[in-house]
Amino acid sequence: MASILFLVIAAIGLATALGTVLSRNLVRAGLYLVAFFFAIACLFVLLEAEFLAAIQVLVYIGAVAILLMFGIMLTRDTLGDDTTAIPVGWMIPGLFGGLCVFTVLAVGINNSIAPSGWTPWSGTTSRPSIIKQESDPEPAWVAERREAVNDMGRVIGVELMTRYVVAFELAGLLLTAALVGAIALAHRADSAPKPPRSVEQAAGSGPGADPPSEAGEPVASSLSP
Amino acid sequence: MVAHNYVFIGLLLLFAVAFAAAPLLVVALVAPRKRSSTKDDVYECGVRTHGETWVRFRIQYYIYAIMFVVFDIETVFLYPWAVSYGGLGMFALVEMIVFLTMLGAGLAYAWAKGALRWA
Amino acid sequence: MQLVELNFQTWLRWALWLVVGFAVVFPGIVAYMVWLERKVAARFQDRIGPNRVGPLGLLQPIADAIKLITKENIVPRSADRVVHLLAPILVLTSAFLVMAVVPFGVGLVPVDLPSGLVYLIAVSSMSPLGIFLAGWSSRNKYSLLGAMRAVAQLVSYEVPQILATIPVVLWAGSLSLVTIFDRQLEFGWYVFSPPGLLAFATFLIAGVAEVNRTPFDLPEAESEIIAGYHTEYTGMRFGLFFLAEYLSVFGISCVTTVLFLGGGTPIPFLEFPVDLLGGSTASLALVNLILLAVFLLKVLFFIFVMFWIRATLPRMRVDRLMNFAWKYLVPLSILNVFFAGIWYEMVIRPGGLTFANWLRGTLVTGVLVVAAVYLTFLLNRKLVESKPIDADWPSVAPATESAR
Repeated sequence: MASILFLVIAAIGLATALGTVLSRNLVRAGLYLVAFFFAIACLFVLLEAEFLAAIQVLVYIGAVAILLMFGIMLTRDTLGDDTTAIPVGWMIPGLFGGLCVFTVLAVGINNSIAPSGWTPWSGTTSRPSIIKQESDPEPAWVAERREAVNDMGRVIGVELMTRYVVAFELAGLLLTAALVGAIALAHRADSAPKPPRSVEQAAGSGPGADPPSEAGEPVASSLSP
Repeated sequence: MVAHNYVFIGLLLLFAVAFAAAPLLVVALVAPRKRSSTKDDVYECGVRTHGETWVRFRIQYYIYAIMFVVFDIETVFLYPWAVSYGGLGMFALVEMIVFLTMLGAGLAYAWAKGALRWA
Repeated sequence: MQLVELNFQTWLRWALWLVVGFAVVFPGIVAYMVWLERKVAARFQDRIGPNRVGPLGLLQPIADAIKLITKENIVPRSADRVVHLLAPILVLTSAFLVMAVVPFGVGLVPVDLPSGLVYLIAVSSMSPLGIFLAGWSSRNKYSLLGAMRAVAQLVSYEVPQILATIPVVLWAGSLSLVTIFDRQLEFGWYVFSPPGLLAFATFLIAGVAEVNRTPFDLPEAESEIIAGYHTEYTGMRFGLFFLAEYLSVFGISCVTTVLFLGGGTPIPFLEFPVDLLGGSTASLALVNLILLAVFLLKVLFFIFVMFWIRATLPRMRVDRLMNFAWKYLVPLSILNVFFAGIWYEMVIRPGGLTFANWLRGTLVTGVLVVAAVYLTFLLNRKLVESKPIDADWPSVAPATESAR
């Protein structure tokens, strides 16, 4: 049953990823990407990592997708239609490059090398059950794994605070640096308000050149009796 | 096997979509359909729209979105810390104080730069 | 925390929850919430409210639903039809999914996820995307403007909302809502502690902003931006947004009750005995009945408070709204995390809850919380005095005075 579920979700993921790449409208491409993020979250649930699935939805769909949409609004017209055309001469080399990457990934993942003493992941045929079965004895790591799966937030927290403390603090530093950088780049300290443009100027520059301001008043140029 | 509880979440998702689609289906069957060109226009207080539909997009929206992303990821780190705090000692509190101070410094920087001024 | 087996009993339980709870009870509660709001708002305005359709106007929601269904479904010619349809479905789905983890009583929870609170926050963060898509797909300047403002507001108030749940998770030691509900039996309702009170206030205010209720309803301000992001939605499509909003109000009230007021437990600091009449099913049913009744009473109280606020307060201006989120609520919530840690060290870590512990914790953290609130307001005032352009209240002398 799990493999059928996985195949369905992976097919949906593949379809939405193709939709992202092939869609001509940017906002629709963004929507396909959101659906792809959701498919990834479903895959996390299949992998028994439900905390990560929730984090995926929270961060990617809740924050990054919105940032993406705002970015599209900022840099393109709001219809989101893609105005760039792919030069035809690039398509064949692009496809070839993509095929090469796919081959490398497929060969690399299927013939994975494991650390010494462990079997490679492709050698495992089943996962230990996360529901405690009284019948057969189990090694200690299975019990530990069950506890980790059933209470993932706590186990991640313990690991973050003990073994990965430096990484955690560095992540905080990276976040702050990203925030400072974004503010420094994006924010222009324009303290003086711009002088209001007269109606003649607005009419002179043609339709669509003076979009409605924050207050939402339409340009009155063509309404004069 | 899979986390069984999420099967219910999947079912609820499908149910919610069906619950939203059902009235729309009824509407498609029942509601009158008198098309006219005025009705299909975009609404602008009774005035015909002129010019492209684009709004002077202010950078401020983007800045709020970036601040939200950063603080969202901060909460992603806060949740595991909060859950595991009981089993750890005071050092966890100190680590979190350091983390939150760094992010507080980021917020203070944004505040001082005037990036938080007005939507 | 065991994950459940997929046997017949589980399927039956889930089918019952879906068919009875989510299909009948919740939409029914939401429909009558609309009626209640109209009655309550009417009473506040010294009039009667709907009283024509059925006794006391009780059939009014049904009449409204029939009206919405029989309206013509108009979509603008240039709108993006698929996304236009998808947006209300996304918002409604997000509202429904929130209810899936709320414990209404002992064992009366649809699913008990081990990371329930993160799931809840994640699912409720999908609705800003739906609102943005609604505004964008309408191809209407005002819709897009309203949608971007709405998303900016929702996104800004989500940070204090999430930060306000951190103290609760800290004290309960788990992300599962059922465990949070259980822990409050041992340590009292989380609202009865200064950091808990601050977190409760922050969560409530941020929650009201998250569901676009007055005073934070600028996205749907009828007098200012036509109808904001749902300008181009007519008939039942608007009905879906309406339903989603009231369902979210119900959801936020439920979550507030579970997180801060101990779910359905009637008395704060006592453990509610599950085996009131012995360990039988009848006892469990009786206990659940009591818990459910008290839970619904508390939820009704919060809903009434939201209606009361709507009838009383005017709408906030958008820059004051954003300032309040980022300059007051976020710093307070971050400081509150520290105070919650201090409370934990003083009250919860020593073991059981004793009056001496609680008193000591309350005094120490109470002083800290009051000082933090006072200092935040003072800091903002001082900053504005030094840089008047940042003010969101009148702080610059009007031109006529200086010209004199």
